[in-house]
Amino acid sequence: MSRPLLSIYRLDRDKLHELSGKLRDLLARDDRAGLASLLGLGEELARRLAAERSAVGLMLRPDEDAQASPIFASLRRVVKRAALEHVWTSESAALEGRLRAYDVLRDESDVADAIDRLLDAARLPWFLQRPGGTGGWLAVKERENLAERMGALGPALPEEVNALVEALGGMDGDALVHDRL
Amino acid sequence: MLGLQNDAPTSDSGPAPRAERSDGRKNKTGRPPLPDVAGAASATIEDVLTARAAGSFDEARTILAAIDKGQGLRTVLRAAAALEAEDEDEVAKLLPLVRKDSPAWQLRLQVAAALDDGKGRDDLARRAEKLGAPAWSLAWLRALSSNDEEQRAGLVDLLFEDAALARTVAARDLGFADIKVDNDAIRRYAAFAHGRDVIRRFGAAHVVALLGRVDTSAG
Repeated sequence: MSRPLLSIYRLDRDKLHELSGKLRDLLARDDRAGLASLLGLGEELARRLAAERSAVGLMLRPDEDAQASPIFASLRRVVKRAALEHVWTSESAALEGRLRAYDVLRDESDVADAIDRLLDAARLPWFLQRPGGTGGWLAVKERENLAERMGALGPALPEEVNALVEALGGMDGDALVHDRL
Repeated sequence: MLGLQNDAPTSDSGPAPRAERSDGRKNKTGRPPLPDVAGAASATIEDVLTARAAGSFDEARTILAAIDKGQGLRTVLRAAAALEAEDEDEVAKLLPLVRKDSPAWQLRLQVAAALDDGKGRDDLARRAEKLGAPAWSLAWLRALSSNDEEQRAGLVDLLFEDAALARTVAARDLGFADIKVDNDAIRRYAAFAHGRDVIRRFGAAHVVALLGRVDTSAG
């Protein structure tokens, strides 16, 4: 099985916040019809959701759970459509390893900290966290700073890292990185 | 003196075990000394709870005195047991230590979680919130409500505050069969839930009374 590749998305935080608020409200009210509508579920999945003890109970199940998995996939699809715009995907499966361990990057503590934040899945909403997956985000200023700092190190960096730097520097807005969306 | 009275041997019960004798020499306050319990220093909170469950309240206090390290849950229980036994000297000695217990919100929420739904629980939750209880801890308490709607709303709050803990609470506390305990959250869960469970078994009402003293004297 090939390793997933890191992608960069332009993140619309307001829209993500709005969607997250709707989801939270529907779950708190256990409004399964409303949830099915928000997620664009087909008849069969909507029926499965209706048969659960509660909608939040389903959302707490593991990513690979047979009942929950298609619901999670729908949720991620809706999030992508509403709040994420694909910017770039790496061609190298080695990129994450380079970012986490390449000594030229690790020797610069501010660069290393920003990279770690960009790859810290705990900073993502629960519905964008996936087991074994990598993800994170940087606000616009942090993204610009990181692109500039890494750009200055360019000659000493591997090709796959420089491709990421170019993508980070060439986009606008907040950046979300993920390998399994 | 609720505890000491319960430990008094009756005339037809034969000689009381050493640990439960309450007719020893009185100290300067007129209160009989707590019994000497062999091995108390190596005992655990479980031994305290077992002694209390058997009605041996003096023995439980002796064990607590031996295992108390001057902070944390053991000190809290020792003070609550002293209050229960109306041992004001010991209460006065321990109250400053309980007041220093940190984080202050945690004990209040653990006690609240050990209580059934109601005003006492709500008051403690409000007090904990004022003392800086984080959103996840308040969501957890809400998720433990016996009211279905309140429980669901709390679980949703917890999911959005701390999904790993939400999964663990749902699996461990709420009986959701298809949800896996999240290893990332086990330590946080255990730290909170242990205190709650011990307080529940000890008798939450006594700890509530103790916190009433703490909060009153703190102003």
